[in-house]
Amino acid sequence: MKNIFKKELARVFSDKKMIFSLFVLPAVLMFGIYGLMGMLMDNMVSDIEEHVGSVYVQNAPEGFEELAAQSGYDKLANVTYLEADASAEKIAELKDGILNGGVDLLVTFDAQFMEKAAAYQNAGDPIPSVTMAYNSSLNYSNAARSTFNGMMLGALETGLLQSRFGNLDLLTVFNTETEVIVNEDKANGEFLAMMLPYLIVMLLFAGSMGLVVDAIAGEKERGTMANMLLSPIKRSSIVFGKLFGLSVLSVMSSLVYAVSMILAMPMMMDGMGEMGGAVSFSPLQIVELLGIIVSLVLFNVSALCLISVFAKNAKEANAYVMPLYMAVIVLGMLTMFNTGGAAPATTSYAIPIYGSSLAIQALVNNELTLVQFGLSAGVNVVLMLVIVFAISKVFNNEKVMLNA
Amino acid sequence: MIEIKNLTKVYKLSKKKMAELKTKETMKRAADNISLTARPGEIYGLLGPNGAGKTTTLRCVATLLKPTEGEVSVCGYDTVKQSDKVRESICFLTNEIKLDPHFSPKYLFNFFGRLHGIDEATIEARRKELFEYFEITDFENKKIEELSTGMKQKASIAVSLVHDPKVVIFDEPTNGLDIITARNVTDLLLKLRNEGKLVIISTHIMSEAQKLCDRIGIIIDGKKITEGTLPEILEETKAADLEDAFFNLYRVHHKEEK
Repeated sequence: MKNIFKKELARVFSDKKMIFSLFVLPAVLMFGIYGLMGMLMDNMVSDIEEHVGSVYVQNAPEGFEELAAQSGYDKLANVTYLEADASAEKIAELKDGILNGGVDLLVTFDAQFMEKAAAYQNAGDPIPSVTMAYNSSLNYSNAARSTFNGMMLGALETGLLQSRFGNLDLLTVFNTETEVIVNEDKANGEFLAMMLPYLIVMLLFAGSMGLVVDAIAGEKERGTMANMLLSPIKRSSIVFGKLFGLSVLSVMSSLVYAVSMILAMPMMMDGMGEMGGAVSFSPLQIVELLGIIVSLVLFNVSALCLISVFAKNAKEANAYVMPLYMAVIVLGMLTMFNTGGAAPATTSYAIPIYGSSLAIQALVNNELTLVQFGLSAGVNVVLMLVIVFAISKVFNNEKVMLNA
Repeated sequence: MIEIKNLTKVYKLSKKKMAELKTKETMKRAADNISLTARPGEIYGLLGPNGAGKTTTLRCVATLLKPTEGEVSVCGYDTVKQSDKVRESICFLTNEIKLDPHFSPKYLFNFFGRLHGIDEATIEARRKELFEYFEITDFENKKIEELSTGMKQKASIAVSLVHDPKVVIFDEPTNGLDIITARNVTDLLLKLRNEGKLVIISTHIMSEAQKLCDRIGIIIDGKKITEGTLPEILEETKAADLEDAFFNLYRVHHKEEK
């Protein structure tokens, strides 16, 4: 058993291609994807911020230009002023520009805007209006509209209200204040709790898939398995040796995934702003997490072994494994959407894969009980032993092993 | 000592296989009531055309297949009930069983040595001896996939002999080898026989059987037609050489499947 274990490890570690695809590629991939995503989002945001909008204002009210200079708006946008009597062709041309992206915003004030606003007395008096024409599908145009709205119209409105009421507090009926009461761990864990179980469950399975298929179905295909079967050792020793060797490799590969993902996450977060937060684990929680991961890997690897044993070659094994992979993804995803709902029944923890996914979620939320942990990890180990027993039996089956 | 008593091996045919073989029968008797005894210190050759049941018979001896009927015992151990004991005393070489192309001959030799529970010093000594005999010492650290066909076969043989087995089972050992390597292999078989080991091989090459085998069993369509030393078979069939003898027997015993 020890020899076969060692051979499985040696097989991978002496092969540069395998090392690359198992340990280097995931790290590069994670950093690459997250880094790129972060960089692009960062670029997009700063690009929009740096963009000087091209804004046309028709019939600007008195004092508008001074206000623009005062607030600094004239530095954020190239403002072109149009007279009230600008030709219809000119307006149509500008609107075309908005559609095509050359122009970001066209603002049209009513005639005698300030006068009308100042003259308002009773209900039914005319209320002046501002029309903003923009393209909702273009980022620059959107940004130009919201900047204009916030800086210029906001300032105009405040000035007009001030002159109408004198005291702006007259407009405030009450103040609202909020006090946030929250369990820090849970708040921080929310984002992770949603993503982590799914990611762990999926990555662990994906990490084992190629390895196991090659080590079982691949060996059968190459005709190297029979040599092992001719050795005077117990079938179960072969199975266990392979199982543990492959499990160690799978755990190592998924650790690389996980670590690089956690390290690369901030690169993306930079571009997205604060979304998650740091989650701290207690030593017990770390042990529990490892327990779940290791038991889940053992279960995954043994299940994959069983499937691969029945396949004639690696290609066939991959075809058999795919549905199981889909099932794992679905089971992992199920936990993504039960955040906040009623706590799942304890018996759900005994469902393979789904139970482990639930347990990881509960762990991140700081809610995992020992019973739940024991149940989810225990089920994995028990099932693994049952499957190993089954595989040992199958190893003696000439029809399956030699395609006879 | 190998004793095969009334060995019958029946395969169930899948629909696809039935179509391939153009037969309506759902069963194929790959080995049909074969009995034979091979003793230490002799080379026993199973001679027959492709698909006659040679490989099936040898696989049953090597514990990889279970007889449908009958019994096979090797060194007094039953291949089904005491398969572990049988595996300790045999080596089995066939072209479907290969060495992992990713490893070097040296690694695999040591690996299988350990699987057989041999101590490191003995493995080391055996490796030196066998690798030198096969002239693979220079290539012992190269990956199997980088070796030529002949080298691969030599490495396979060396690795299969790691535990100094009492019974050597070679299924078409010279198949696909050049004259020099093939000669190497046949010389080894003679050497093993002279050391008192039991060698059983299968072949469809008449000259090889004629030169090499002490006793020959001819198998046609899963049945053992005759058995004996070369002169005995020639006498029985009244033929000048083994090839003529074989065709005489083949004409009589091969039934056309309709």
